[in-house]
Amino acid sequence: MTKKINYEEAFDELQQIVQDIEEGDVTVDDLAAKVKRAEELIKVCRQKLSNTEEDVNNILRELESKNSSEQ
Amino acid sequence: MPKELLGHKVFSLLEVCKSIEKTISNRYGTAFWVKAEINKLNHYPHSGHAYPELVEKRESTVLAEMRSVIWSSKFDEIDQQFKKVLGEGLKDGIEVLLLARVDYNAKYGLSLHILDIDPSFTLGELQKEKEESIRKLKEEGLFDANKSLDFPLLPQHIAIISVETSKGYSDFLKVIDQNSFGYKFFHMLFPALLQGEKAGPSIIKQLERIRSVLKHFDVVCIIRGGGGDVGLSTFNDYQLSKAVASFPLPVLSGIGHSTNETVTEMVSFTSAITPTELADYLLQRFHNYSVPVEDARKLLLSKVPHILAEENFRFEDKLGRFQHQIKNRLQNENGLLRNLMSDFRYYVSQSLASDKASLKEAPFKITSSVKDRLNRNRETLLELHSGIDKNGRSLLSSKSEGLDHLEKLIKMADPKNTMKLGYSIIRNKKGELIHSTKQLNIGEEIENIFVDGSLISKVESKKHDKKD
Repeated sequence: MTKKINYEEAFDELQQIVQDIEEGDVTVDDLAAKVKRAEELIKVCRQKLSNTEEDVNNILRELESKNSSEQ
Repeated sequence: MPKELLGHKVFSLLEVCKSIEKTISNRYGTAFWVKAEINKLNHYPHSGHAYPELVEKRESTVLAEMRSVIWSSKFDEIDQQFKKVLGEGLKDGIEVLLLARVDYNAKYGLSLHILDIDPSFTLGELQKEKEESIRKLKEEGLFDANKSLDFPLLPQHIAIISVETSKGYSDFLKVIDQNSFGYKFFHMLFPALLQGEKAGPSIIKQLERIRSVLKHFDVVCIIRGGGGDVGLSTFNDYQLSKAVASFPLPVLSGIGHSTNETVTEMVSFTSAITPTELADYLLQRFHNYSVPVEDARKLLLSKVPHILAEENFRFEDKLGRFQHQIKNRLQNENGLLRNLMSDFRYYVSQSLASDKASLKEAPFKITSSVKDRLNRNRETLLELHSGIDKNGRSLLSSKSEGLDHLEKLIKMADPKNTMKLGYSIIRNKKGELIHSTKQLNIGEEIENIFVDGSLISKVESKKHDKKD
């Protein structure tokens, strides 16, 4: 299973940005960059919720090849 | 009756069987309670009769074995009773306490005719088996193993162990596939039996299959469909419970409506009463991920413009103050400058006015003061003139005496007079007067001037007095 961006990391990073902004730890200089990053992370997280790239046939093939190698 | 045949007393087979039958019925006339294990139930749904194979084992060795029979009317009654008490009917592999009569039939042989089975005994046996499973798993440190796993942030890839045609499976899929939030799950069925004796080995086998493609999945869901409360004791089986407890992915079980939790459920990461509830649990996990993401988005939408507005306000405020200060300062400076200028103008004009006035008066002043001065000088001159006239003569005579005296003094001071006494004047070649040995070097020529002439001589040696 290949993950282009690790969604757990994306989630954690997003939470951190939110916390920083909520606590007023972000300077106006950084704000634009942080907001841009947050938007990317939100996109990653949302995509993850509504997409899977897994294919049953691949897994079945894998199972079959494992069975035949065992025999 | 026996007949004589070839010198023997011979019985027919039927006579023997009848004899045995008579003996047995005399000896075992009444029914009695027997403890045994139903090795195979051998129930025939068509006739409704069951022919349980009863055994007594020590460890796994069969010590005794006997056929038995439960007629269909009795079977239904006992089975109902079992379902009521144990939550499941009669099945293979259970210990039972049965009321039976020894039955002998000339054609079918010896068997136990089962009249009743006490479900509470079996319940106790099953409970013992369950407790034994729990004890062993705890002893091996496996009881909490699955619960201790980290649950994935997003349980998106699900390996499902279920029966494809079961209601539970379709209920489960309905919830996760048709959720209104747009959450997407990937799931794959690993078909297994979930009822009866074979459920345990069947589930274990599928867990092994999942283990071989583990990386594709986040969680395993064991979903038992619709079967009511029956057939749950298999989930207390030690081997099955162990397989679940030690599985490397969280196992979520949606096994049934039981009020009496099975060992498999106990050792699962989590267990739900129904497949729908289990599906909701997964959706909730998605919410737990999704809600903070949406909140983050909302926060960015609301908070960021607010921060910017605030910053803008702060900036405008600063700028306003700055402008105000600059304006004030300029006004002040301007005022000062204007004051200075008007002061300057005033003083200049005052000064000019006074100068003009003095200039007007000047000629008169000059004329009168010059006149005064001239008059005064004239008077002084006149006074001087008369003074000179008056004092002139006496002054001249006294001056003449003084001059005579002076002449004597001058004569006395003439070097010639001094030289006559034996002194001479020394000059160097440049004609400078020599009054110290320091002015001269060895070998330098000097001129000694006497009253009557001079000598040219050369310095041969020098000698200083220490004083100098």
